[in-house]
Amino acid sequence: MITQEKYRSKAKKLLAEGSVKMVIGYSPGSTPDRRRPVFIRSFDEADQLVLDSNCIANLSGYLVSEGLLSDEKHVAIFLRPDGIRSINILAAESQLNVDQIIIFGFDTNGNEVRALTGEHAGEFSEFIGSIKEHPPEKSRDPLLYQIEQMNPQERFAFWKDEFSRCIKCYACRQACPMCYCRRCIVDSNQPQWINTSSHTLGNFEWNVVRAFHLAGRCVGCGNCDRACPVNIPLRLINSRMAEEVLDSFDHFAGLNPAQEPVLASFKKDDSETFIL
Amino acid sequence: MTRCLFSNKLENCVTLWRSAGYSVIGPVRKDATSSYAAVEHAADFDLGMVLPDRSIKELFFPQTEPMLHYTIKQQAINTEEFTPPAGKRIIFGVRPCDASGLSIDDPLFGWDYKDEYWFQRRNESVIVTIACTKADDFCLCTSLKLAPDSTNGSDILLRPLENNNGWQVEELTERGREAFSAIAELLQEASEPTAPLAVVPEMFNLDTCVAWLQNPENFESKFWKDISMRCIGCGSCTYLCPTCHCFDIQDEGDTYSGIRRKNWDSCSFALFTMHTSGHNPRSTQSARWRQRIMHKFNYFPGKFSVNSCSGCGRCTRQCPVDMGITETLQKISTLHP
Repeated sequence: MITQEKYRSKAKKLLAEGSVKMVIGYSPGSTPDRRRPVFIRSFDEADQLVLDSNCIANLSGYLVSEGLLSDEKHVAIFLRPDGIRSINILAAESQLNVDQIIIFGFDTNGNEVRALTGEHAGEFSEFIGSIKEHPPEKSRDPLLYQIEQMNPQERFAFWKDEFSRCIKCYACRQACPMCYCRRCIVDSNQPQWINTSSHTLGNFEWNVVRAFHLAGRCVGCGNCDRACPVNIPLRLINSRMAEEVLDSFDHFAGLNPAQEPVLASFKKDDSETFIL
Repeated sequence: MTRCLFSNKLENCVTLWRSAGYSVIGPVRKDATSSYAAVEHAADFDLGMVLPDRSIKELFFPQTEPMLHYTIKQQAINTEEFTPPAGKRIIFGVRPCDASGLSIDDPLFGWDYKDEYWFQRRNESVIVTIACTKADDFCLCTSLKLAPDSTNGSDILLRPLENNNGWQVEELTERGREAFSAIAELLQEASEPTAPLAVVPEMFNLDTCVAWLQNPENFESKFWKDISMRCIGCGSCTYLCPTCHCFDIQDEGDTYSGIRRKNWDSCSFALFTMHTSGHNPRSTQSARWRQRIMHKFNYFPGKFSVNSCSGCGRCTRQCPVDMGITETLQKISTLHP
């Protein structure tokens, strides 16, 4: 409650003095434990803002909605550490200008919500670096260990079964802050690169392509996993890919706004000679 | 005295129905999600849930369905049409909102062109609905002038007994009577009282909402932009909806052979209305959400005299950003017509 009050008054102050045009945060939802994204544009509306342990969604995707930041005005947004990492990646990939974003950083521990120190993306770099060095305990999904024990046939069968429920709604894509492409490869229909049908092939094509596109970019916010209407454990794929990128390239996505995208940058001293 | 089916006879029912040539389908929870799926035993049913995550529509209108197979060989084009799968089936434990959804879509699929895939399955399916004795925060059938014991779209309505040990049987159609004659020996005359129906509070006045939607001035209202600002266009609402019925036809294959398929599509997607020229008449998410609401409560009833919503609440229940028909219509009902 203290953090909520702190940020509410900060939102009011920023809106009243015109330093931001909007505060993107959370408001009460349709049931007591649901929170919904809200866009506050005036002092009077700021009392709608709530902040508690039910505020889970990573809201950073809204920042890249068409036209929001094009007027160069400032926007404030509530973000957990993973959301701040998303902002850093979006900045590194030239999707937004971090100087326009005021961050209301927060973290939850059980029911307790605490404010993070800092206001601009760069000020959180040290904090995010500490998460890289000391990942929170129990952060790895136990199912990952089970899947790693499987042989390739069993693993294929596991995912075939999970993907068999996929209905190709693309909610995972829409909920993901990293999926900002104006035209996704699955929406490209001349030619149709990826089958739109939700049969085995089509479902594998989609989910595997998405996994590769998120390698080195996913921050594990869980938006895709929560959005999936048929509860496919998408987090497992993306967090496993993140581990792979960390092991291979020592790359922890979203450390700071200047971090080079790992799979979209080139180094002359790359040990893989085939690239040249 | 009314005819009752007691729960302890359900396994025998399944056996009898299967030996009479019906496949048996019902609410099943598998992995992390629930749907209407085929069962071999009564124990496979999960009759305790409010309603399955996935609606009944996929049993009649699958998310992907082959229509024809084509081959092209030296100028000769051969096509071979797929016929809809045949086979009698009993869908047991359907919720009244899901059953109503089927009857809402019947006129649509039979309007200018009779969709064989839909009607073949409709004619061969017996819908055995169980009236609801519990609801959750998202159920809204009463707001749509339906009820926890609506009979629309059902062949049989079962009313749960107070002791939770079975159901009173109401036969509604000839198809239902035929299916239940196969298990006549298992039904008993009894005078047990039925359990009270679920209480589903009315969330909005539908007539007020419809009047607002029908006023052409409200088409460009700022309301649409405000209500849909957080919509991420994911389409889950349309795919889980028992009445959303839009589809796309896609050819999959190469120059020599392939399959033409009918796949679900959604008005939430930008691509849905994208013209070849690149122009998109519904270029914003707010225009797409307006279309969904207008279609359900203005255009569809204008054509078929029934709202295209049966009040299951899946749209809100599963929405990643907590939107849905309930909130939208609640807000509309407070606006000046």
